[in-house]
Amino acid sequence: MTKFLYIFILFICSNLYGQFDTIQQFNEVDVLASHLFLKQKSFCLVIDRDVIDALQPIDIGDLLRKVPGTNLRSYGGVGGLKTVSMRSLGANHSSIIVDGVPLNNSQTGQVNLGQLIVDNVEQLISSVGLNSNFLIPVSAQISGSNFMIKTMENSFSEDTLTIRANINFGSFGQLKGYTAVKFNPDKFFISAFGSRQNAQGNYSYSILNGLSELSRTRNNNNYLDYNYGVSAGAKLNKGIWKIGYRHKSIKQELPGAVILYNQTADESLETDSDRLFTDFKWRNNKFYIRTFLNGAIEKQRYFDPTYLNSQGYLDYNYNNRNLNAGVSFIKYFVKWNFFGGVEQTISDLIVNDITFAEPLRHHSFSMVGARYNNSLFCLTGQVSGQYVNEQNNNGGVPKKRVRVNPFISLKTRGFGGDSELELWYRNSFRMPSFNELYYNNIGNLNLLPEDAHQTNLGFLCSRVNPKINLDFKSSIFFNHIKNKIVAIPTKNLFVWSIQNVGRANTFGSELQFDFKFNITDSWKLALSTNYTYQKTIDVTDPYSPTYLNQVAYIPEHTANADVTFNFQKTGIRISSFYVSKRYALNENIISNQLDGFFLMDVSMFQTFTISSSQELKLIGNVKNILNSSYAYVRSYTMPGVNYSISLSYAFN
Amino acid sequence: MRLISVLFLSVSLVSCKKEKPQVDILADVLKNGTVVLCEGLFQQNNSSLSWIDNNSMSSSNNLFVSKSGRHLGDTGNDIKRYGSKVYVIVNVSSTIEVIDATTFTSIKQISMQNGGISKQPRNIEFYDGSAYVTCYDGYVDVIDTISLEVTERIAVGLNPEDLTISGSKLYVSNSGGLNTPVMDSTVSIIDLNSNTEIKKLTVGLNPSRCITDNEGNVYIVSRGNYADIPSRMIKINVTSDVVESTFDFEVSGITKMNDKFLISYYDFSSNQSSLGLFDPVLDAIINYYFIDVSFLSTIYGVAYNSYSNTIFISDAMGFVNSGYVYEYTTSGTLVSRFNVGLNPSKFLFYE
Repeated sequence: MTKFLYIFILFICSNLYGQFDTIQQFNEVDVLASHLFLKQKSFCLVIDRDVIDALQPIDIGDLLRKVPGTNLRSYGGVGGLKTVSMRSLGANHSSIIVDGVPLNNSQTGQVNLGQLIVDNVEQLISSVGLNSNFLIPVSAQISGSNFMIKTMENSFSEDTLTIRANINFGSFGQLKGYTAVKFNPDKFFISAFGSRQNAQGNYSYSILNGLSELSRTRNNNNYLDYNYGVSAGAKLNKGIWKIGYRHKSIKQELPGAVILYNQTADESLETDSDRLFTDFKWRNNKFYIRTFLNGAIEKQRYFDPTYLNSQGYLDYNYNNRNLNAGVSFIKYFVKWNFFGGVEQTISDLIVNDITFAEPLRHHSFSMVGARYNNSLFCLTGQVSGQYVNEQNNNGGVPKKRVRVNPFISLKTRGFGGDSELELWYRNSFRMPSFNELYYNNIGNLNLLPEDAHQTNLGFLCSRVNPKINLDFKSSIFFNHIKNKIVAIPTKNLFVWSIQNVGRANTFGSELQFDFKFNITDSWKLALSTNYTYQKTIDVTDPYSPTYLNQVAYIPEHTANADVTFNFQKTGIRISSFYVSKRYALNENIISNQLDGFFLMDVSMFQTFTISSSQELKLIGNVKNILNSSYAYVRSYTMPGVNYSISLSYAFN
Repeated sequence: MRLISVLFLSVSLVSCKKEKPQVDILADVLKNGTVVLCEGLFQQNNSSLSWIDNNSMSSSNNLFVSKSGRHLGDTGNDIKRYGSKVYVIVNVSSTIEVIDATTFTSIKQISMQNGGISKQPRNIEFYDGSAYVTCYDGYVDVIDTISLEVTERIAVGLNPEDLTISGSKLYVSNSGGLNTPVMDSTVSIIDLNSNTEIKKLTVGLNPSRCITDNEGNVYIVSRGNYADIPSRMIKINVTSDVVESTFDFEVSGITKMNDKFLISYYDFSSNQSSLGLFDPVLDAIINYYFIDVSFLSTIYGVAYNSYSNTIFISDAMGFVNSGYVYEYTTSGTLVSRFNVGLNPSKFLFYE
């Protein structure tokens, strides 16, 4: 142990190298930031395909729990609602960018990460604070945090022909298949993919009821989805143009909360979404510009066949449409960079319920910024402006909103060596969603946007040599949230309303340590750990019983520790995840407490080389090997031990 | 590797800690105290029974789990005693817990399901050896209090909420609460000799609380629509079964105190609570602000304890925090205050 610490300290502050910024290479990777740069010197977290293969996450939400600072809320099961909040800000403060295009849902304000497939994800980058990529949409550059996903199908590659196929069998009747083909000669590519997944979701779980532990099986949890899409791209004289189409259809049963003594559940949800997107990047000398257009329609049908109203059922259709377009640019000078952009989003919601509003929202974003670099420090400043205007053909509308938000960052070399220090402050907000503004009886047109102030001090250092690759990152942060939008019962237990009632302070810290050791040419060891501390306290009302209490559902401690051993083409990954106790309500009393939990997953993988261009990979995965009984959300118990086996084929 | 093992070991130890129910030392026989039904919050399985002990002037929030070794379930809605048994209606769990009134040990849990659909029971009354339970699926269930079996289902209106007995007639308020915004406005009147509905009387939007005064007159709260239609108290003439009068004040709950009514009201727009006194003989408000409860966050349950001649008032604390029970003399002096479970709403007093 002592020797280990000694080596660790020796490595972190020794070597002088690196620049504060690099001229971004105008090739494929810069859409999602120059990841080579990021991998070595950035506070962003990068998860690559090999890690995704080893983790075998069932969806993007499952993957994001590995990211420091995140707090996953999962309602369980394949396709079940999953959202991630970063540093206690709430899921609506995060942008999800897929292939450089934002995913939007103005109805709920958040994307269900449980329904984003991971099979085609080449890389995922999570960032808070300074974003090194100035060509992503403005809305993402100015949001509280963002998750950027790069897929295989929408990117250029070095190989003329790329084929991917994957089949996965798992517990609870899970069967997943995915296949993709990309043809990529020198100047253009075309690709197509399709996937299908179904699961019975009838997992067993145990719950403690007083003195006895009950074993149950989740019912009404069938799931079926189809995803398919096509993409094309072309390299022009000084530009790159891409276009893509994605379709998703999902049929899922909703098992609902686990209710003591009552196991009836028969609700269901159908989702159909279509998305067409295109983007064009152009470069002239040291001027880069990117423009994108994205149109999406998401239709959902919620059906409860036994609701006790006069009809005897509920059948609602929601049709949420989003259209957005934007331009971003950056101009590099020797020591100065200037960047900026605009973006416009139009979205509406149509519901087959005469009492529901018919909202239409125009949301405009604009941003300008500058960066100054020298050999000692890098100073970045950004000012953004937003204008939101809504119309409603069936009722009132909220006031127009105009906001100006700053961001400032100072990066400097750390205490010798390849280390950096960064101090930044961001002010951002999130708009109330259509549901929060307009939902029958619950919605509140007087809602103000939820404001977030983030301050962060970060330190990183890394050491790379042929044998050892070592990265250490740490941050301390202070966040303040004002006008927190929360749902509370206002009239009686069943009549809730959305209000701006909350103020919360977060004092937090993240530690991240990655260590890769090539023991011999055949033996490799990788250790990836992170720890997050978040003290998020309610500071709304000094006379409330919850004053200074930890805010509901935010754990004080979250930790990941993953270790991977590779021997030639065989590997094993042991992945562990810990979440400390949380409270289901803001009052920190024992009856509101949800126990902390520790999960361990183990996967083994073997690669078979068929030829120089063909490879098979077999992965066996055991999730929750300790069979922990746990829940992210009260009454939504998660599965015990479960298994999957996956076979992947790759042609490059 | 040692580092990893230490890390794994330490987190494993933490994760082994399981929730243990808090077991309080409660007397074998309940007396000289109050059982408080705390509804809990929807989908949290945290409905509970608190016990307020008059001797020690203390409260414990684990009466049910201590006596039965299991939790009450989700959203307890009513508690009443009939003979030697106590009945607790648990709405979302869709059960009725039948408990020995003296020892408080469980006698039976009646599952309230009908062909795979939860009946969602709400409130209970008793007549001639039978229990009558309103069920949100549009029925009043008749339960034999000896066999503890459902013997009959009486069809009423939409989402029946409360019920009261006058003579040999049962008055059931049909709230229609799950059909928002088009709620029900009727009271079903049932002949208890034949267990059939004899009349559906229109009283006002969203009928809820029902109560019978000492002279047999029935009073109903119509909650309105929480917006432009206000809440009102309505008196039914039980001889002719027509609406006799509508009282021009806002009201959430009515509780009997000897020959008077305590009228509680929570104004959700201003978050103000009030407690008034009404005389059903004169049909007039004596004092709308009978006891000053304006300091309460959310007035929720009110009951009169005839053994101690005191008034119990619960504060739901905005519905998301653990509640408080306040005990007042009938002249409005605060006697005591107890912290109880989430959303305390009903009381059962022990001599």
